Amino acid sequence: MSLAAKEEYFDEPSCEHNVTAKEKKACKTATPGSSTGGCALDGAYIVLSPIKDALNIVHAPINCLGNSYNQRTSKAVNGEDYYMYGFTTAMNENDLIFGSEDKLRRGIIYANNRFKPKGIFVYNTCVPALTGEDIEGVSKELAVKFKIPVVPVLSQGFSGNKNLGNKIAGDALFTHIIGKKEPVIDLLGDFNINLIGEYNIKGELFLIKKALKSIGINVLSTITGDSTIEEIMYSHKAELNVVICSKALVYLARKMKEKFGIPYIEESFFGITSTNKAVTDIVNSIGNMELAKKAGDYIKIITKKTEEKVYEYKKFLTGKKVLLYTGGVKSWSLISALNDLGLRVIATGIKKSTDEDKLRIIKEFDKNGNIIMLDNGNPVNLIKIAKENNADIILAGGRNQYTAIKSLIPFLDVNQERLEPYVSYEGMECMARLIYSEIKNPVFKLLKESI
Amino acid sequence: MANLIKNIEINPLKTSSSLGAAVFFLGLKNAVVLMHGAVGCASFDKVTLTKHFRENIPIVTTALNESGAILDGKDFLISGIKNVYEKMKPDFIGIASSGLTETNGEDIAGVIKDFKGGLDTPFADLIYASTPDYKGGFEDGYTAAMLSLLTETLNKNGKSIKKSNKTVKSINVFCPSSFTPQDFLELREALDYFSFKPLMIPDLGLSLGGYLDERGYLQTTADGLDAKDLPDIYTSQFNLIIGLSLKDAVKNIEGLTGLKTYYFPNICGLKNSDKFFNLLSRTTGKEIPEKYKRQRSRLMDAYLDAHFYFSGKEIALALGVDLLDSFSSVYSEIGANLKLGITTKVIGDIRHRFLDLREGDLDMLDTRGNVDMVVSNSNAKFYAENLGIPLLRAGFPIIDEIGHNYKHYILYGGAINLAVESANLLNKE
Repeated sequence: MSLAAKEEYFDEPSCEHNVTAKEKKACKTATPGSSTGGCALDGAYIVLSPIKDALNIVHAPINCLGNSYNQRTSKAVNGEDYYMYGFTTAMNENDLIFGSEDKLRRGIIYANNRFKPKGIFVYNTCVPALTGEDIEGVSKELAVKFKIPVVPVLSQGFSGNKNLGNKIAGDALFTHIIGKKEPVIDLLGDFNINLIGEYNIKGELFLIKKALKSIGINVLSTITGDSTIEEIMYSHKAELNVVICSKALVYLARKMKEKFGIPYIEESFFGITSTNKAVTDIVNSIGNMELAKKAGDYIKIITKKTEEKVYEYKKFLTGKKVLLYTGGVKSWSLISALNDLGLRVIATGIKKSTDEDKLRIIKEFDKNGNIIMLDNGNPVNLIKIAKENNADIILAGGRNQYTAIKSLIPFLDVNQERLEPYVSYEGMECMARLIYSEIKNPVFKLLKESI
Repeated sequence: MANLIKNIEINPLKTSSSLGAAVFFLGLKNAVVLMHGAVGCASFDKVTLTKHFRENIPIVTTALNESGAILDGKDFLISGIKNVYEKMKPDFIGIASSGLTETNGEDIAGVIKDFKGGLDTPFADLIYASTPDYKGGFEDGYTAAMLSLLTETLNKNGKSIKKSNKTVKSINVFCPSSFTPQDFLELREALDYFSFKPLMIPDLGLSLGGYLDERGYLQTTADGLDAKDLPDIYTSQFNLIIGLSLKDAVKNIEGLTGLKTYYFPNICGLKNSDKFFNLLSRTTGKEIPEKYKRQRSRLMDAYLDAHFYFSGKEIALALGVDLLDSFSSVYSEIGANLKLGITTKVIGDIRHRFLDLREGDLDMLDTRGNVDMVVSNSNAKFYAENLGIPLLRAGFPIIDEIGHNYKHYILYGGAINLAVESANLLNKE
């Protein structure tokens, strides 16, 4: 087993980071002494764990899973609830000295007998990668024995960051799951697509599916929110892959295009404008006149309805200033949603953004003037920019929540820990209400006067 | 042990020693925690701690990559230390190792020692705790960091520390990692009543208790045990050590400080609080303050009010060893049936309080449960909901409710809280 991550992960031709050799490195390295995002294990686990009838077994000492599990907010309905379970071999000193393959094997057998899952993901981590445990061998052996996919996920943290982990997970799905089964005929609609990189945070997938269903588009498989192993197995039968806000999983979409000839598009469902564009793009890619007409009518009606619903919020929010600090694609996809609400984005983070992302930011910003691109996500810098520009609110990930509110600046979480769904038409209402309530909340004024 | 048979943890109760060390370091003032490992080692911990304490958590990483992991992590460690110091100017840099950096056989202590030896300007106190994640758990890492701080401080200050002529002498207070910030603050207040000047090692009450600083966002811990007070540790009147998990460290702490030492496994419930206040009264010659006499009487009354609701009910506790001991003390006094105890390291002293006490994971709630209430952390919510029984949230992590920073379970007042909260949950249909 190779300890180094596949070079292919860093050579993604559809990733703009790879235009020059120098920038390519940016995907790999982090500075010692800084506070960074998660590792490859984190990224792989995020992608695979929402599959509700599969088990996720982390072969590691207790810290890799034990310190931080069960915190994602993916939702699932019907069927199994295995995404609520965290499994680990909790390697101890003896396992290091005498080897832990047998422990891993027995652990997987116990879990399989108890839960009877449809698939098992076995994650490699730093310590067993160093001691050279044959996770691939154990997985292969047990897959034959159980007659289900037992998938080795080579996600040892020292290989790279979260983004790399996303790709490793995509590769695991591509190699071991996708294309392994044909769908029964009544699962297929007239127009079948897959959603890739949608994890159903706070039920967002349900909102996207609802909009698509209204015009007659069938989501065959979602990778991986509220999904099952079987559903991903037959995902190769879709006619289009829609990659949602995820540069990392473009890797998977490209692989599927190469092998199964499925075209892919990248879309965002944040805000009315983006959702309309996504729906239109999907319909255009499918290329059916009747569908296009239906979509056009639907968009007209729902846009009007949503605009009416957010009217009062928009009246208040128009001209208010937002500092946006989030990863990669969201640096521009959220701007569109915020523009829909009349908000002025004064700055956005670009630390994880590609050149293409940056161009799109500039495009979005044309609508409302100047822009500060924040390459430095250091909290001190964030607060400085917010204060200098009189930002009314900071929209960022959970790790910056206390940075903002301790400085008495209103805050809304736009990453994993968001409290409500933000996507599609209904999500726009939630986001509008949350930003409105947050900026309006009197507590900030009270505390500023009192401190 | 069940886990030896199943060879796998399913929804673990246990967390790692590096996390325990990190929590200890967060109780120091103007401190930063540097995790020596891959980026995930710091990131996972930071995420959970931020959600649990609802505060900024200054944890950074040495960000080991493939070459650092396989060949040598020394350069990563040194540049990590330098970068932290230059960017954040902390008084303390608490360094914890990980499974990764302990497996590849680095001499981390040696690297840090050499680095310190080469310094000719004032620098942050570097406290290193060896915390291989495959060895021990949260409490072990916390204790390792505690002993490391004492050793380092002694080495640094050498002979000069015995010459204190301060008129008000401090006392050293070592609390378990299970104490909530409010527990720390309550204990401090009780000691204040007896005119003690407590040095809390660490002081999570001051650092993570929920505090709005007029300086706004800070890169390091806002408050906590102050570096300038460290030399006073060795001239204190005595050591007060609380916590079953610290039992094995008592001799070490006594040896390192050379001070008289009082040890309490816990200070929860009527009897244990009595013992604690009697000690304070005896050592100071002061009478127990009116406030606590009244609290004691109210606790007795609360026990009477609450005890009815425990009748015929069975409780499962899935907690670290300190809370398991503390809570079972209170529950035993009030006649609760403790059907199942799940913990990370069984310590014999408290076995008799439980029908069944074992090391294990939260999944045992499912396979061995059938109780009326669970006392555990947020990860047990899933099981409690499936079993249709209430969950009293305690321990680590608590991420789906706010406010535990303001709750306390120690001394008379804490026992009132636990008895009343539990009774109300048991009484819910």
